[in-house]
Amino acid sequence: MKPVAWMWLVVATMLAMGALCPQQTLAQVPARFYWDSLSDANAVPVIVNSMSGNTNPFDPSHTVTPGANFDATLALVGYARTFSLFDRAAMAAVLVPMGRISGEANVAGRTFNQSASGFGDPMLEFKINVLGPPAQKNIPDLLSYEPGFSVNLLADLAIPIGEYDNDQPLNIGQNRWYGRLGVPTILQIGPWVPGRRMTFELLPAVWFFGKNDDYVGQTLETDPLFQMDAHLTRDLTERFWGSIDGAWYYGGKATINDVPGEKLNNLGFGITLGYTINDNLNLTVGYKSTVNDSDPGDLRMDSFMVTLVFGWHPLIEGMRRLKEEK
Amino acid sequence: MKRISVPMVIGLLAALFAVAPSVQAQQAKKPNIVIILGDDLGFADMGAFGSEIKTPNLDALANEGVRFTNFYTHASCSPTRSMLLSGVDTHLNGLGNMDEWIAPNQRVVDGYEGYLNNRVVTLPQLLKEAGYHTYMVGKWHLGKAPDQIPAARGFERDFSLLDGGGSYWDMTNITAAVPKSLYTEDGRYLTKLPEDYYATKTYTDKLISFIDANRGSGKPFFAYVAHQAPHDPYHLPRDWRNRHPREYDKGWDEVRQERLKRQVEMGIMPAGTELAERMWFIPDPIVLAPASRYILGKKMELYAGMVENMDHHIGRLIEHLKKIGEYENTIFIVFGDNGAEGTDLFRMIAGSPGTRDNLFAAIQWSQTHPKAWGDPGTWVGYGPMWAQVSMTPFSQFKGWLAEGGIRNALIVSGPAVKRAKGSIDHGLMHVADIMPTLLEIAGAEYPKTHEGREVPKLIGKSWNPVLAGKTESPRTDEDYLAWELFGNRAVRQGDWKLRWQFKPYGKGDWELFNLAKDPAERKDLAAQHPDKVKAMLAAWESYVEANNVILPSRGPYDTLEKDMPQRVTVHPGFPPLIYKRQFVPPKDMLADPKP
Repeated sequence: MKPVAWMWLVVATMLAMGALCPQQTLAQVPARFYWDSLSDANAVPVIVNSMSGNTNPFDPSHTVTPGANFDATLALVGYARTFSLFDRAAMAAVLVPMGRISGEANVAGRTFNQSASGFGDPMLEFKINVLGPPAQKNIPDLLSYEPGFSVNLLADLAIPIGEYDNDQPLNIGQNRWYGRLGVPTILQIGPWVPGRRMTFELLPAVWFFGKNDDYVGQTLETDPLFQMDAHLTRDLTERFWGSIDGAWYYGGKATINDVPGEKLNNLGFGITLGYTINDNLNLTVGYKSTVNDSDPGDLRMDSFMVTLVFGWHPLIEGMRRLKEEK
Repeated sequence: MKRISVPMVIGLLAALFAVAPSVQAQQAKKPNIVIILGDDLGFADMGAFGSEIKTPNLDALANEGVRFTNFYTHASCSPTRSMLLSGVDTHLNGLGNMDEWIAPNQRVVDGYEGYLNNRVVTLPQLLKEAGYHTYMVGKWHLGKAPDQIPAARGFERDFSLLDGGGSYWDMTNITAAVPKSLYTEDGRYLTKLPEDYYATKTYTDKLISFIDANRGSGKPFFAYVAHQAPHDPYHLPRDWRNRHPREYDKGWDEVRQERLKRQVEMGIMPAGTELAERMWFIPDPIVLAPASRYILGKKMELYAGMVENMDHHIGRLIEHLKKIGEYENTIFIVFGDNGAEGTDLFRMIAGSPGTRDNLFAAIQWSQTHPKAWGDPGTWVGYGPMWAQVSMTPFSQFKGWLAEGGIRNALIVSGPAVKRAKGSIDHGLMHVADIMPTLLEIAGAEYPKTHEGREVPKLIGKSWNPVLAGKTESPRTDEDYLAWELFGNRAVRQGDWKLRWQFKPYGKGDWELFNLAKDPAERKDLAAQHPDKVKAMLAAWESYVEANNVILPSRGPYDTLEKDMPQRVTVHPGFPPLIYKRQFVPPKDMLADPKP
C-alpha cells in the first residue's frame, strides 16, 4: 500500500477508533477509547448494550439489589468533537442514553416487577491530554503520532433531566447529579505500526454522586465509587484489533434513608474486538462480566456491547471526494 | 678460490642477524589499508562534504587526511567495484554491463560476463602475494559461482553478501526470480545468518574479529569494507530512525541550497557554483501539502539515519584500530560507489498486480506504513528529489553519466598522506587509480601475465604523487577518462566533458560541458565548440577501440522517453501561477458592500 493510502487508513482509524469514540458513560468504556486524534474532527457514536445483572446499568453507582435480576437494552447516541487546547489534544462530547429496562427488584422488603423506558440523563464529557505528544493539528502530526506514555484528565457530568418515576426504584434517569473524574493512561508497547500496535491502558476514575431525595419516597445517597478499568490491546491486522479487559469496582456504598448498604469490591473481565469498516465507520463488539459475584450482595452484571462510530473531518472528506473523482 | 674461514662465517651470520630485524621492521612498516565503500552514498552526504547528516567519524578521517572533489566512479555499483578491485576498464574486466542488464548483443562476449572475469588479477590477490592479510566484509556483487566469490578472488577471510542488495535483517532478496540473498563466510555459502544480524553491524563485527584473529602474525592487512548502507531498502534499527524529526519537511530545494552554501564555505565547491536545475519531473516542494512533505521528508530522515548508522559502525572500527595500536599505520580510502539512487527500485521490483514479482512483494515487501519503515518487510527509497540533494550540486543520479551519476566524494587519510591535514584537492581522480596506488604502497608489482595469460593493462594512475602533495592530479589535461553504461557515454578531459545520454535525461546526442565553470552541467556548449567535440569524440573512439566497448542493443532506458514526462527547462519562479501570493489590499481602501 502506498504511503498516501496509509495516510487514509491512519486517519480513518484514528477518527473511528480514537478519541472520537464517545464514552459509554454508564458502563466501562471500551479499550482504545482515549487515543488522541486529529483536532477539529467530529464523531457520532451509536452504542448498544444488552445487559443483565443485579444492578441498574443506567446507574453508574451500580447499587446492588440482592436477589434482583434486571435486563436492559441501552443505547447511547452522542456527538463528540476534538480540538486543540494549549497545544494539547482535547475532546468535548455530549451523550444521551436511552433504552429500556425491566426486571424484578426488591426495595425495603418489597418486590417489584418493573420496567422503564425512555431517555436517560445526558452527560457532558471533557478530556484533555496532559502528558504525551502534542495535539495533532494537521495530518503530519497525525501521521507521526505515537502515544508513548500518555496521560489524560477526564471529567464527566450528568445532568439529571432523564426520565424518572419516583414511584419505582427502577429508572432510566437517576434524579441526581453525578459525574466522574478520571486519568486515562496509555502505555504503548512496541512499535506503533498498524497491524502491530499494542497498548496497556488504565483508567483509574472516581464517580461522585449527588443525593436522590426522591427514591421511591426515600433518600438515596451513594459514596464515591472508585473504578479501575484496564485493557491489554493488540492489533490483529491493520484494521482489526482485540483487547482483554478488566475492571475493579471499589466503594460506592449506597445509603437509603440512613441505612447503609455494602460497599462494592468486585472484579469484572471481558473481551473486545474492533474493526475499521471504512474510512468513516468503526465497529466494536465486546462482552464483559463480573467474576466474584456468587454472594447475593456482590455486584453481578454482564453485558454485550456493540458500538458503531461514524467519524469525519472536513479535510478528510474533501480529500476523499477528490480521490473518488479520479 | 678463497677459503672461507670461521671468523668470516661468524661475521656473515652476524651481519645476517643484524640485517634481518631491520627487514622485519621495514616489513612491519607497511601500512594497513582499509577501503570503505558506501553503497549509493552521495557526493554531498558526509558532513565533510557539506551535509547536515551527522558523520563525525568520516569527518574526522577527512580532517586528518585529504578530500577530493573531482573523483569519479562508474554510474552503478558492480562496474565501479570491478574497476576498484581490478584496475581494468569494465568492458574488459567482465562488467561491460551489469549482470542484470547484459544485452542480447553482449552475451558471450569477453568482458561482458556480468561478473569479475578471470582474465583480470585482483587487488587482494596481489596484496596477499605482497604479504598482506586480505579481508572483505559487505556487498560483493561481482559473481556468485564458487570461482567468482571473494575467497576465490583473493580474500583470505570474508563475510559477504553476493547479491546487489536486499534486506539488512535477513536473507530476503528483491524479486521472485531471486528470492533469497546469498552470503559467504570464508568461502562457504551460508545456510543462515548469524544471530542478531544487522548488515552494517555484523560486517563491522566480522571485520574486527578477522583483524584480531591475525594480530599476532605481524603482517599488515587490507580490508575491503563494502557496506550495503545506505542502499535501499532503508532498513535500520529503530533508535536510528528518528534523529532528524521533521527536518526534511522543508523540502529538497532548501536542503540542496543549504548544502551548496556549506560546500562553498568549506571550499568543496568554488564560489559562484550553481545548483543543477531541479529535474523537470520533480515538483517544487512549495506546492506540496504538509502531509506529502512529511511523508517524503520522512524518507530522507531514514536515509540520514542509514548514513549516520554506517558512520557509527565505521567509528567502531576506527576506535578498535586505535585500541590495538594500528590506527596510525592505516590508510583509509572512503567513497560512494556511484551516484545516489534516484530510481524507484521498489516500483520496478514490485511489478503490477497479477505478476510474479508483485506476489513476491506482497508477501515480502508490503510493510509500507511509515511507522514500519526500517523494519524487515519494508522497502523505502527516497526518490529522485532527495537523490539530487545527495548529489548537490550536480545533475541527475545513479545510473546516468551526468556528474550526479559518477562523481563522488573521496577521503584518503593515513600514513600515505603527506599533505596538510584537512586539505581539499580538486584534481581529476578515478576509482581505477586505487589499484596502482595501493600496489605501489604495498611494494607489489602489477603482473604482465597471470596464470599463463596476459592480463589487461591498468587504466588508472597512482595517487602517490598527489598524496605527497607534489601535484593536484595524477592526470595531465591530455589524459582522458571515459565511461559507457546502458548505452550512455561520457568522456572527461581536463575541464571538459562530452556526454551522450538517452532522452529525456540527455538529448540522444553528444553534449559538451565545461565542468570547471559549469559543474551542474546546465549549459550544453557543443554547438559553440565543435572542435572540442570533435577532439573529444576522437578520445571516445580511442576508448571504444581500446576496451572493446559494445553499445547494448537493449537496455533499461529503451522506452524512457515515452514513459516519462516530456523534458522542459526548469526556471526558478516559473510559472508565476504557483508562486503568486494572495493580494492584500491597503487597509484604508477596505469597505463593506453598500446597501
